Amino acid sequence: MRIPALVSLTLRELFAKAALIILAAISTLVLIGVAFVVSVHTAPEGSSLALFGQPVSPPLPEADLIKAVAQMQATLAGGLFTGIILFGIFATAGVIPDALEKGTVDLYLSKPIARWELLLGKALGAITGILANVLYFFIGLWLVFGLKAGVWDPRILLAAGTMIFIFACLYSLVVFFGVLSRNTAVSIIFVYLYLFVVGAILQNREATLYLISTNVVYRTVIDGFYYLLPQISGMQENGAKQILGVAMDWKPFLQSFLSALTIFLGSAVILRNRDF
Amino acid sequence: MTAIACEELSKIYRSGIFRRREVRALQDFTLSVERGQIFSLLGPNGAGKTTFIKVLLSLTHATAGRASLLDTPLPHVRVRTRVGYLPENHRYPGYLTGDQVLTSFGALSGVPRAMIASRIETLLDLVGMKEWRAVKVKKYSKGMLQRLGLAQALVNDPELLFLDEPTDGVDPMGRKEIRDVLKNLKSEGKTIFLNSHLLSEVELISDRVAILDKGKLLKVGTVDELTAAGEEYRIDIAGTVPEAFLVEAQALVMKIRVEGGTLITEVTEAAALNRLIDLLRKHGVMITSITQRRSSLEESFITLIKREVNA
Repeated sequence: MRIPALVSLTLRELFAKAALIILAAISTLVLIGVAFVVSVHTAPEGSSLALFGQPVSPPLPEADLIKAVAQMQATLAGGLFTGIILFGIFATAGVIPDALEKGTVDLYLSKPIARWELLLGKALGAITGILANVLYFFIGLWLVFGLKAGVWDPRILLAAGTMIFIFACLYSLVVFFGVLSRNTAVSIIFVYLYLFVVGAILQNREATLYLISTNVVYRTVIDGFYYLLPQISGMQENGAKQILGVAMDWKPFLQSFLSALTIFLGSAVILRNRDF
Repeated sequence: MTAIACEELSKIYRSGIFRRREVRALQDFTLSVERGQIFSLLGPNGAGKTTFIKVLLSLTHATAGRASLLDTPLPHVRVRTRVGYLPENHRYPGYLTGDQVLTSFGALSGVPRAMIASRIETLLDLVGMKEWRAVKVKKYSKGMLQRLGLAQALVNDPELLFLDEPTDGVDPMGRKEIRDVLKNLKSEGKTIFLNSHLLSEVELISDRVAILDKGKLLKVGTVDELTAAGEEYRIDIAGTVPEAFLVEAQALVMKIRVEGGTLITEVTEAAALNRLIDLLRKHGVMITSITQRRSSLEESFITLIKREVNA
């Protein structure tokens, strides 16, 4: 009852800030654009994919057409997912610092709510908001390609689940920096820094950080950081593979889940010891 | 049956580099509040009043000591289902209406969904906010926010209510209404713990009062106990005081001063007061009234704090 109430309050907060509405509006524009741009030309020798009415592929047998559509869906989903992640973090990062503000946190914590419950409820609220947007976009994409190209491939729907999982793992860092700094801007900067700089360097550590030293301890520490933090790009690559129907590697998902859980628990411990 | 009990409770805030700067917000604070009372905690700014409530509600961790709420040792999350709290500087989400605030915080307090609607109806009526229920909180005045805050604190029908400056920003009529609400709650057997700067109000409704300064408990007692100004009596007389009376009274080592038609005396026992009355009668002075002088709670408070500062 208490965690659902926190989720509901957080969703109201996100709607009030118009964050979710803006995100849904962007998704709608993309879907409308795709619906206008993409079509299929059917000829006796096969169907070809067309953009703006111009065929962009030779006439293809049905199996190849499905592959071509999946490729297009993966490109669109990848692009918009990056957008959703960036905007989603920007839109929801304030949820934790706002809840911990003087005058607000007193109201929450004077209720029979444990501090970890407050964090969990707030994080779930933000993730649910983004989930609604991701589902809206992916179901929309599935419908558009189904109606326009006659390709009803359910893998795109499964990819929505994967995408939200990736967002949830990344959100553990938002929670952590939110608790630590109690400042939305600092929280956003650190998460973006992880996403674009630290995460990317760690992902390619063999070609970057390993070059600095061959010391075993140094490399173990670098590896430790890599496995301790969510592997966003690793998971994202596998999300694209899911849409394309290529075999996925589940290791980054498992590692990221454990890492997100550890980061969340760490945030809860920090919050538990704090005076308000 | 105690509503609040604490023993040698201390809270030290540490700050600065290496956390070497210390502020002792509470020092060996021992207090017990019986159920069904209105108990007020008074003290100057920074005395530790809000810290005390925050420690009891586990918003802040005690550095040392023990405490319990409603006979449940702290810290204990679920005991807060039986507690209500109106913080001093509360911030309700501005995008919610009054109705939505109470629904949301009712759910957070663990009020069953089926009961929330009827509870809100009663509370909005109680705090006089029915017409504003559908208006967004960001449009509320300070006084209206306090009324809503009081309703929020009562949403779970708590046994123990903590109110930190509940009448802050409320107009005189509103203050009277809040006082009446508190008296009604007391008659229902609820315990009310009040932090307030408005000593005249505290005096009107409190059963017991504690005075706190620099984290130390200076005095606890009923309002009568705190406002009794020693054994000082006012004796109103008709006419003037004869010189012979004054000479004889001073010979009896009585502290007397004359202010117009009133004699003010400090006596240590009732027998001494009676001797003085006998002396007045002997000199043919007509006594019209005798009253024990009381200071206001404000005077007692200021005297006590000044004494502490001088000490």
